[in-house]
Amino acid sequence: MANYFSNTLRAAVAGALAAGLAIASTSAAQAQQRVVSGERYVPTIWIDPDGCEHWVMDDGAEGYMTPHTNRQGIPVCHPVNVCGVMNSDQLFATDSYRINASGKAKLKEFFGKSAARAYIIVGHTDSRASDAYNMRLSYNRANSVARVAAGVGANIIDVRGYGERMPKVPNTSAANMQQNRRVEIICVK
Amino acid sequence: MKPIKIAVALVLAATVAGCADTYGGHSPVGSDKTRDRGTDKKHLSQLKAGIWVDPNGCDHWIIDDGVEGYLSARLDKYGKPVCSGAAPPGVATGPFKKGTFIADPL
Repeated sequence: MANYFSNTLRAAVAGALAAGLAIASTSAAQAQQRVVSGERYVPTIWIDPDGCEHWVMDDGAEGYMTPHTNRQGIPVCHPVNVCGVMNSDQLFATDSYRINASGKAKLKEFFGKSAARAYIIVGHTDSRASDAYNMRLSYNRANSVARVAAGVGANIIDVRGYGERMPKVPNTSAANMQQNRRVEIICVK
Repeated sequence: MKPIKIAVALVLAATVAGCADTYGGHSPVGSDKTRDRGTDKKHLSQLKAGIWVDPNGCDHWIIDDGVEGYLSARLDKYGKPVCSGAAPPGVATGPFKKGTFIADPL
């Protein structure tokens, strides 16, 4: 609740600042005013070929552009360029990063058919076990997938493991945890 | 010969300045920076990008829209730079000059 209030307050302050208005602090104790001198620059959104948003402005003879990210630095994207998500249970035994035979065949088929120029492989786990253990396991699993991909000629440009830190859904049930145990394949066109 | 050259230069200067200011029949740009004005007018969501590779080998979206130029980092869904090897460092590739019919003389 406190977080909600601080967020709304922050948004309100940011809005008022952008408008170049004098704003009064909501705290009654310190009724101070702040005046920002500036020009109003209202951007629009450009969506890149990957599906991610950028702020863009045309000021006549100048153009400006910067990625649209949230306050955590995560880009705001539309699901345009989703490529492949492998459920870890179909590739690995619990706690293992060795890919089983059917998993290998599946991956080989996927990378053989896909026409992307390059791939980023990202491993994830559910929230059981320690953070450090999950970071290591997800990275090892991503590397295992990357090795199979490279074996069939795929161009792997990055391999990462995020452990339990980037859940797809909350880890509140067995079904959700299964969704979170995954290896994502980002296709770069 | 010389006066002609000067006249041509003046016309060119007026044309270029026209896109920027009140010259040449273009109205000034207000706070709404969301569209390209003048001869080649369109909403900015229509821009066509190519890829410019920075000296570290990472991709940026590059757009040459006539008088305006745009450059913005290519990030994956986790916010990390995409360094795809689309071109050697320092090279721009793709249709980044295809979104406008205004020639880039420079």
